[in-house]
Amino acid sequence: MTMLLKLTAVESRLMLRDVAWLFTLGVPLFVMLGFGLPFALSPGGPPPEAVSGIESLVVTAVTIALGLVGLYMVPTALAAYREKAILRRLSTTPARPAALLAVQLLLQLVLAVVSLVLLVGTAALLLGTGLPERPAALLGVHLLGAAGTFAIGLLIAAVAPTAQAANGIGVLLYFPLAFLSGLMLPREQMPAALAAVGEFTPLGAFRSAAEAAWTGADQQVLPLVIMAGYAVAVGAAAVRFFRWE
Amino acid sequence: MATVVQVERLHKRYGERTVLDSVSFGVEDGEIFGVLGPNGAGKTTAVECLSGLRRPDGGTVRVLGLDPRTERDRLRRVLGVQLQESRLADRMRVGEALDLYASFYSEPADWRELMELVGLADRRDTPYAKLSGGQKQRLSIALALIGRPRVAILDEITTGLDPQARRDAWELIEAVRAGGVTIVLVTHFMEEAERLCDRVALFDAGRVAAVDTPAGLVGRSAARQRVVFRPSAPFEDRLLTELPEVAELVRTGARVEVAGSGELLHAVTAALARHQVVAGDLRVHHPTLDDAFVALTGRRLGTEQESPR
Repeated sequence: MTMLLKLTAVESRLMLRDVAWLFTLGVPLFVMLGFGLPFALSPGGPPPEAVSGIESLVVTAVTIALGLVGLYMVPTALAAYREKAILRRLSTTPARPAALLAVQLLLQLVLAVVSLVLLVGTAALLLGTGLPERPAALLGVHLLGAAGTFAIGLLIAAVAPTAQAANGIGVLLYFPLAFLSGLMLPREQMPAALAAVGEFTPLGAFRSAAEAAWTGADQQVLPLVIMAGYAVAVGAAAVRFFRWE
Repeated sequence: MATVVQVERLHKRYGERTVLDSVSFGVEDGEIFGVLGPNGAGKTTAVECLSGLRRPDGGTVRVLGLDPRTERDRLRRVLGVQLQESRLADRMRVGEALDLYASFYSEPADWRELMELVGLADRRDTPYAKLSGGQKQRLSIALALIGRPRVAILDEITTGLDPQARRDAWELIEAVRAGGVTIVLVTHFMEEAERLCDRVALFDAGRVAAVDTPAGLVGRSAARQRVVFRPSAPFEDRLLTELPEVAELVRTGARVEVAGSGELLHAVTAALARHQVVAGDLRVHHPTLDDAFVALTGRRLGTEQESPR
């Protein structure tokens, strides 16, 4: 038990000493405020027709953050631990390399949730969005979305030969997934076929479900099933292909 | 003395390639045992089988009576392993790493004392990436010892180190052994094996060519000492080749090289002196483990510091 606590403490400090977490929290915040503040600061508050657009912007920012953690932070961190043979060294001690993996995934999840709270709180304070209609549902959807994207990150870490390769694959995968899920271009302006495909990406499914939780609209089952499907299927593939050394 | 590591007819293949072919050796309690051979001889694979990192294709391995495959959990608590390629996170600090690894064991060594022993007390808050090569190796050795193991496997600890750092590492190993830890030292550096090891298993192309003390290996190989000099005046070969100590005489230009055994130097200089010949630029070469390796395997061991990194 002391071992797990100590491992978590040390890994947290290591994560904080690298600026990547700042980047992960900062980029979505910057996007949200950059696009949202001009509306929020217009005299007399945001025009009523802009409010739903700002809410959608917050969900977009949360989705960007989830994508950054899952597709960039997770695979790079795990592949580095394998590349440096740290997992291998641990396997010669009474600590298991699986313990380090679990602690890392937990910390990345904490980072994603911190980002969610930061974005929602900032939006409520500075953009005048108010709080989500169903906060608990939003958190639930977020955890499910994290499971789906982390599974992809884990699979990248499993197949990438080096940390640098993992980083490259993560970035390569991030942009098309972000585009398809409507993070770069509103879905209404995308070709119908692409927008439809986007619904089946983990980030696109997350975005739809998160939007429903925010606005209080009826929660569709399909996006939840899609996220769970990624978590289970891709997660199983990651476990199957993961190499400790 | 009790045998703490027993390896019998160990076989390992990677695909079609046989990496270990019927390897057998035993390590006694409290000794520094060298696993010596050129790169690619199978040394690392052999110790990976000892630490349970690889599954042998045949043969038996026992470390402190434990089977590394089936009793790996128990083995992890009594065996310290320093892997050749293993690093730490760049931003992990020396004290942090020792404290963390100590928490893996139920009765760890005092990590502050260990930090002192490996000479890193003044580097406690230095991040791993800022350590020199020698400091990284000493930290890695400390991590292998933090659980108070009875046996420690150290793989290529001085590869890539400068001569001073290498000597520091050697002194550290001797201090650790003095503390009662049995050490299995993997090296392709014969000077290291000659200096540190009580006994050595000479690996060659996946086989053990011989197991003996360094001096025993040299003696067994019948490698000869050589005396090289420039004579001050001409003399006939017969003058030296008739001496019982001399086996061979070779002239290269003005240089004369005599190979033989026993009191070779004394016999040669005395014979020359009787004929008023002075041996200038006189040098004596004693056979080394390197010579023994050549004699036993027909191959050169090489002292090149080829880093696998």
